[in-house]
Amino acid sequence: MTVDPKNLKKIAERGTQDIAFCITRQPNSSTLFVGNSSFQVVALQTDAEKPEFQPLTGESHQSYVTGITVGGDSGNVLVSGAYDGRLIWWDPQERKSIRDVEAHPSWIRGVIASPDGKLIASVADDMVCRLWDANSGEAIRSLEKHARETPHHYPSMLYAAAFSPNGQFLATADRIGHVIVWEVATGEVAAELDAPVMYTWDPRQRRHSIGGIRSVAFSPDGKRIAVGGIGKIGNIDHLGGPSRVEIFQWESGKRLHEIEDDKLKGLVERLHFSDSSNWLLAAGGDHGGFLSFYDTETGKLIHQEKAPMHVHDFVFDDQGEKLYTAGHNKLVEWSLTESPDE
Amino acid sequence: MPNQQPSSRLVMPSRRQFLGSAAALGTAFAADMTTLDVLQSPTFASELKQQQKHVILLWLAGGASQLETWDPKPGQPTGGPYRAISTNVPGVEVCELLPKLAQRMQHTAIIRSLNTKVGDHGGGAQLMETGRRPEPGTEFPDLGAICARELGRRDSQVPDYVSMYTSTEGRRKGTSGFLGSRYAPMFLSDQMKPQNIARLEAVSVSDHQARNDLRTLLAKGFSEHRHNDVVASHNTAYQRVKGLMASETLFDVSGEPESVRAMYGPTQFGEQCLVARRLVEAGVPFVKVARAWWDSHGQNFETHRELCADLDQSMSGLLDDLEQRGLLENTLVITLGEFGRTPRINPSLGRDHFASAWSCSLSGCGVRGGSVYGKTDPQGNTVVDGEAKAGDLFATIFEAVGISTHHEYYLGSRPVPIVDFGCKAISEVLA
Repeated sequence: MTVDPKNLKKIAERGTQDIAFCITRQPNSSTLFVGNSSFQVVALQTDAEKPEFQPLTGESHQSYVTGITVGGDSGNVLVSGAYDGRLIWWDPQERKSIRDVEAHPSWIRGVIASPDGKLIASVADDMVCRLWDANSGEAIRSLEKHARETPHHYPSMLYAAAFSPNGQFLATADRIGHVIVWEVATGEVAAELDAPVMYTWDPRQRRHSIGGIRSVAFSPDGKRIAVGGIGKIGNIDHLGGPSRVEIFQWESGKRLHEIEDDKLKGLVERLHFSDSSNWLLAAGGDHGGFLSFYDTETGKLIHQEKAPMHVHDFVFDDQGEKLYTAGHNKLVEWSLTESPDE
Repeated sequence: MPNQQPSSRLVMPSRRQFLGSAAALGTAFAADMTTLDVLQSPTFASELKQQQKHVILLWLAGGASQLETWDPKPGQPTGGPYRAISTNVPGVEVCELLPKLAQRMQHTAIIRSLNTKVGDHGGGAQLMETGRRPEPGTEFPDLGAICARELGRRDSQVPDYVSMYTSTEGRRKGTSGFLGSRYAPMFLSDQMKPQNIARLEAVSVSDHQARNDLRTLLAKGFSEHRHNDVVASHNTAYQRVKGLMASETLFDVSGEPESVRAMYGPTQFGEQCLVARRLVEAGVPFVKVARAWWDSHGQNFETHRELCADLDQSMSGLLDDLEQRGLLENTLVITLGEFGRTPRINPSLGRDHFASAWSCSLSGCGVRGGSVYGKTDPQGNTVVDGEAKAGDLFATIFEAVGISTHHEYYLGSRPVPIVDFGCKAISEVLA
């Protein structure tokens, strides 16, 4: 079936008491794993007759679970990270914890696996990205260069990370809009980018800040990096600013596109380049949520849908035909293919 | 957010304006003393004032979250991501965003049971500034004005009430209400130092001194055979202006040792807290430092990560500095705002206005350090023990610094109790 953003349609919606911050799935599996505000990792069998959230057992996090990923030799390892600074390795089949690592002294904001599944990267508010052996859980390398404080002397935050498709590079992005591209094998800095519009410092009215780069993604050819967040905000009490995406040719540092949307506002929490087509999906929200597809060549909006909640994360099925979004009190299943009767 | 602006008769920190109002002030002050407060015992008041108690109000404008400060609820659906941490007082926990203050809890009492009901910025601020709901036709003084009145020295040459509010959102100037402009705040909004109090460059130091000597000589001759409050007040006003001009250096922290400045941190709030210490050390009875803006409808946790770091560093530095100088036992440091924030977390990961079950803190003078008063339910939605109103908090503050809660002002023949009807001090948090 043809995958087309314009076919995007909500199929099912599942309510939950929790805020779902992160979502992942194993290849060739109908089970979703979700990290939530009840400090849990839960499984949801999407093809069950009555799908229900089943908490994984064993060790448990002690704060919001904000990152989850699948890695390992054959996608057989599930790793979650939380505001408690810990990473927990899980057996996705047994749905039990197998390892618990004190990974950061501060709040973990994201956890990702390398494309070959061998590495896990975690980013946290100690402003360090740490690389881990996905199978053994051994610490491999710490990547440290992000400033610990904002220019206004407040704690900064390291929100997002992404591996390049070939696994050679890793991009990390922080609150003040700074991006560092690292060489994974050496830990050397390959490039640095800045998207300062993502960070709003209000020196006069409210005297604090809001924003930051909340999402980062490499293009399939590895040459471009997209970062997502929010544009300048007048009233920083709310997420009342335009959702914002910037696309860079990262090796040259050239900014290719600056995309802002005043219609559906808020943070861009997650970005994904299509593997086969020229579109980029940006999802996020304020009090509500959005899914916005952009043409990666022109930067123009292709299609957009309101989501029934602020979207924190999403994952596709193996064919890229279905999309599962996780967010505020809801999980939603979407289809990107034409309905059989259309 | 629209903010209610109270009417006020401000004494702006301008020398010229101060002088301009001095003549009228003499009459106003006499009226204050003779008609507003005829039952006040001068002897008793004098004793109180000789003790030189001070209050520093750290006003958390916009409403800080009690769950991310003094009343954490980890593990609850409303609790948010942050842990509770132990303090140096066994059994007392605070949010992990306040690690430095957690190690100074021996100085601090927490009240976790404020139920003040007013959940809009203007109304909430007015209530928590004055300790009572507004009444038509009566302009109540705020906490600063009352403390200025009750703790200030009549012969003081420094301001009685200094208020710093440099952010513009939710800015309120404060009001001395029926106490009159004598107790209105010196309000600093745009700069760290008061404007227009420096000697004019065109007037040399010797000329300035000569002019003052001449004025003093003439005034002395004039007042020798005129013993009344108006004349005395007029001369007092000049002395206060002289004091104000000399106090300019109090607002300049550049001369403080680097080690002292480091205690307060590098932020503007930190510097203002340092100014507050300098002011109370010089005899100012009431200093308000407003730290805006805690109104975290979106991104509550990020906002508190920033602002709590500021509060934690600056207030810890303030407590340490006051203690090291022997000032803490006579200085009450308060954290307070117009309300707290909802236990419910909204879709923008924010918390909204909430006045039904929230917290404040009192540190230093007159406080039973390490005490915790009141209790909220496990999710923080309601007060389940020790409900406290704004007036109860005010009564507690007054008792902590030695102001009688039985005191009454008089508006004509109408008595106005210093504490709202039916309110009383929370003795559990008092030393």
